[in-house]
Amino acid sequence: MGSYIIRRLSSAVPVMAIVAIIVFLLLHLAPGDPAAIMAGDNPTPEAIAQIRQQLGLAEPLWRQFLLWVVNLTHGDLGQSIVWGEPVTRLIAQRAEPTISLALTTSVFAVPIALVLGIAAAAKAGTAFDRCVMGFAVLDFSIPLFVVGYVLIFLFSIKFKWLPVQGYSPIANGVGPWLRSLTLPTLALGLPYVALIARITRATMLEVLSEDYMRTARAKGVGSARLLLKHALKNAALPIVTVIGMGVGFLIGGAIVTETVFNIPGIGRLVVDGITRRDYPIIQGVTLILSGVYMLVNLLVDLSYALFDPRIRY
Amino acid sequence: MSNLTRRSIMQGGLALAGTIAAPQLALGQNGGGRTITAGGVDLTSYDPVVSTSLLTTYHAAKVYDTLFGLDLQQRPQPQMVSKYELSDDKLTWTFELRDGLKFHDGAAVTSADVIPSIRRWAARSPLGQLMMTHVKDISARDTKIFSIQLKERFGLVLEGLAGSSDGGCFIMRKKEAETDPAQKIDAVIGSGPFKFNLTETKPGAKYVYDRNPDYVPRKEPPSGMAGGKLVKIDRLTYMAMPDAQTAIAAIQAGEIDFYDEPPIDLLEQLSRDKNVKLQVLDQLGQNGLIRFNHLHPPFNNVKCRQAILYIVKQLDYLKAIISNPDYYKTCASSFGCGTSTENDANTGWFRAAPDYTKAKQLLKEGGYDGRPVVLLQATNWSIAKDAAEILADEMRRAGINVRLEPMDWAGVTARRAVKSSPDQGGWNVFTSTAPGFFLGNPLFSYHQANGEKGWFGWASDSKNEELRNRWVLAETVEERREVAREMQENEWNFVPQVLFGRWLQPVVMRVNIKGVQPNTFSWASPVWWNVEKA
Amino acid sequence: MAAVLNTTAAVPLRVHAGLGEFVLRNPTIVLGVALLAIIGIAAVAAPLLTGDPMAISPSDRLLSPDAEHWFGTDSFGRDVFARTIQGARISLAVGLSVAVLSIIIGLVIGLVAGYYRRVDGIIMRFMDAMMAIPSILLAIALVALTKGGIGIVIIAISLPEIPRVVRLVRSVVLSTRELAFVEAAVASGSRDFKIIRRHILPSAVAPVIVQATFIIAAAMLSEAALSFLGIGVPPEIPTWGNMISAHKLYLARAPWTIFFPGAFLTVVVLAVNLLGDGLRDRLDPRLARRM
Repeated sequence: MGSYIIRRLSSAVPVMAIVAIIVFLLLHLAPGDPAAIMAGDNPTPEAIAQIRQQLGLAEPLWRQFLLWVVNLTHGDLGQSIVWGEPVTRLIAQRAEPTISLALTTSVFAVPIALVLGIAAAAKAGTAFDRCVMGFAVLDFSIPLFVVGYVLIFLFSIKFKWLPVQGYSPIANGVGPWLRSLTLPTLALGLPYVALIARITRATMLEVLSEDYMRTARAKGVGSARLLLKHALKNAALPIVTVIGMGVGFLIGGAIVTETVFNIPGIGRLVVDGITRRDYPIIQGVTLILSGVYMLVNLLVDLSYALFDPRIRY
Repeated sequence: MSNLTRRSIMQGGLALAGTIAAPQLALGQNGGGRTITAGGVDLTSYDPVVSTSLLTTYHAAKVYDTLFGLDLQQRPQPQMVSKYELSDDKLTWTFELRDGLKFHDGAAVTSADVIPSIRRWAARSPLGQLMMTHVKDISARDTKIFSIQLKERFGLVLEGLAGSSDGGCFIMRKKEAETDPAQKIDAVIGSGPFKFNLTETKPGAKYVYDRNPDYVPRKEPPSGMAGGKLVKIDRLTYMAMPDAQTAIAAIQAGEIDFYDEPPIDLLEQLSRDKNVKLQVLDQLGQNGLIRFNHLHPPFNNVKCRQAILYIVKQLDYLKAIISNPDYYKTCASSFGCGTSTENDANTGWFRAAPDYTKAKQLLKEGGYDGRPVVLLQATNWSIAKDAAEILADEMRRAGINVRLEPMDWAGVTARRAVKSSPDQGGWNVFTSTAPGFFLGNPLFSYHQANGEKGWFGWASDSKNEELRNRWVLAETVEERREVAREMQENEWNFVPQVLFGRWLQPVVMRVNIKGVQPNTFSWASPVWWNVEKA
Repeated sequence: MAAVLNTTAAVPLRVHAGLGEFVLRNPTIVLGVALLAIIGIAAVAAPLLTGDPMAISPSDRLLSPDAEHWFGTDSFGRDVFARTIQGARISLAVGLSVAVLSIIIGLVIGLVAGYYRRVDGIIMRFMDAMMAIPSILLAIALVALTKGGIGIVIIAISLPEIPRVVRLVRSVVLSTRELAFVEAAVASGSRDFKIIRRHILPSAVAPVIVQATFIIAAAMLSEAALSFLGIGVPPEIPTWGNMISAHKLYLARAPWTIFFPGAFLTVVVLAVNLLGDGLRDRLDPRLARRM
């Protein structure tokens, strides 16, 4: 087990390195010039050249990359070009809303999705199953931002039940925190429910058709008990995988959701960073989000060992 | 070394004072009355010298004070200065700082801070640059008295310091003022009526300004950027709200108190809401701008530029973009309307447009050969985006082979600086807006025609430059008006740009916000002093 | 992921006794195809059906739906019906282009990675890296940092899909390679290209087709999301995403400017997803767990 963890971790290192190279090259080969933006509305070409010099953008590409990597190893993601503040500080400031949103969305979506998926699998082919799957496909097909605006329109503007936008830090009280996250969680959670429910159902169906399940059924084990004890246990593994894959969906969805609901999270930080060509922010956030994605999937892989005693490393 | 220690001790003391004061502020926030939350477009820089963005200027106007401020009639009035005089030979200005001026770190404002602040400002400000070509020296007589000595007469020193061509000359500490003008300052410490609260601020999301209890306002009533800056709230929180729909919903729900730039299409909806009110702060308004690249065909040819004058029908733009006739007007003056320089010289084209036959003929005379014309379109800024779409439609009708190149506004700002030909990464035309305050000023970039040294598009016209020099030297208002007439006569012949109409942008606020002052500077900035929340 | 794809389980489409039975047995495929056919025909016939989707007419702006403008007009006074129908062409074209592009590239890379074990490690690490970068972030960055345009949008949406296709194809190759007849072919010294074409490619067809439908659906949603963030297809081109994005301000005042493109987008994505589900159930029930 120990050696597996080490092996798995060491395979993550080259992948992160490739991510870093892709991100760096993507930004530095692109035509946008942060110096031209920084120079304000009425810059002279000399001023732009001078800013390029100061930002180190005039250096050869390989030196910029080297410098960046060296700083990275010290945990230094550089300074925001626009704000002059350390990128790590900016990310730390914006982390709470994004983590909260991911958390509430998972807490909301995963149980509902599992129940729906398992129930649909148990009653496969019935009207109930078709309804659940129909709902899932529909949910999966509506653009997230359309759902978001409709929710705002109904619950905030029409009924005035919930805040339109913004984020209330958990330090200001759990009540306001939950209220500020309700609509974003719904908007982001609905397609997430659909995604997980679909996969859970498919996985359960597969498990239900396995030989030992048929044997169990033939032995007369009750269907509800059967479902829970045998099927769910064997389905845990692929379901965990699905949740791991869902992290990518959550991250992408959070970017759009934060824009719709004006939540000052990491997604907004990076979208603003892109429109302003704030290279260090884009690099830093992309790197960290990619790292989170890989970490979650690493944990998922490791948890296989936990859920499935047949797998030995 | 000892100096350094003393400063760090002092900062420690300030931090302590901050923690003690914090609970009271928090109380104020819960009580609601003493904190105002405003929403709007995100700030992009703290440094008013490096960035001429209006939002940065509004930020600076809260944190810093200025030597002079423009009043509502756009006349310079003393602000940090108590006494000032011009010598009889009109070559030496002497200024004395008024009592009680203190930076937010507690240090007094002295001539040693003011002089580098003027120099740094002058390095980037259009009028400041012009002033410096006439300046022999700026020197301190003592800690409170300093003077500007001129080589030759220059009539616009006070206008310059008051910010006639930019946001204004903001006075910083010596330390920041000595920063290279192309490099950003690293501390936001001024002597203005608000203190910037760096701890509470989250760049890109919210900016927090606390009342500066040590600020000594002038006794005069407030007027524009001049007069008494009496702060009546404890805290101003500025929230970056990139999505207008969200912001409008937020102000209707009372989640914010004030919003910069409500889309004009939604004003009707807002005016039905009894909880909010609309107010036009800036009577000069905004002007739609179509800017040509004068370096490359077809718009290096004056006939081709003139052709565009004949196809732009302002009313079509205004109807589509602004839509509410209460807020827009067509405007034929190259200086915008409502400005002191507005006039009607050489505006026959305006009454003629649209005249596609005339436009096609001019294009033919100008030798337009059907080559693609690259039109930059900022997709994340709806006014510029929509205007580009309409312009493309009009140009196609005139037989121009338009190639719309969509990108975000940041992309446009980078791209418009490219001088190479359009097929090698350059451009032919872009759309933007010009605040009336700037468009009305012949010295501002829109009216520069000094070729490649000038503003994007690099218009070049020697007669224009001659007239601009005459404007600087003109001593009376009448004389300046006459020069402006001549400039416009000439401008509508060589066509540095085309305007697609003028509109007023109201701000929207909750009804309990009182005391918001009109402003000639630009629409989105209430000067937050004197504002109350009932 | 632990599951090995059992391609031999693929059920070929049986020739049914009649159309009626086919419909009964494959309701999702039929529903999906029917919806797509209607919109597809409208899209192809768009120039005949509607007026000029680009014609600006400021005095007719934001008119509610009536006999002349079935879906009303937008903030430029353009006909929403014309634009919505026209939008079908572009949205579908973007979806199809993304699917074709990412499938072709993914197929080639996947075959190479699965068949030639020496390069497999490098290729898969590279694919892992691409998977790790949030796809919408990669797409936004690509579009925002380049000149933009419809081609870039297609590439930007395709790129994040490629690793998924590669993984799928590679796993098919790995499982097929071990089958007796393939091993026999390798042993008998057949050329690699021939083995791949004869023995491996056919098993990849079914899962790839199913994957393609899901890519089409996802691509249309991605295009809409990019447009929503203001960095999608050039705004003057009437895609559904652009139409919604340009009119998000008018949700309350002129809901038809958002409703119709939104409804069409949803219906088409739904139809494609239904088709994908149906195909998956028919072609390969075990594929479900791979998505």
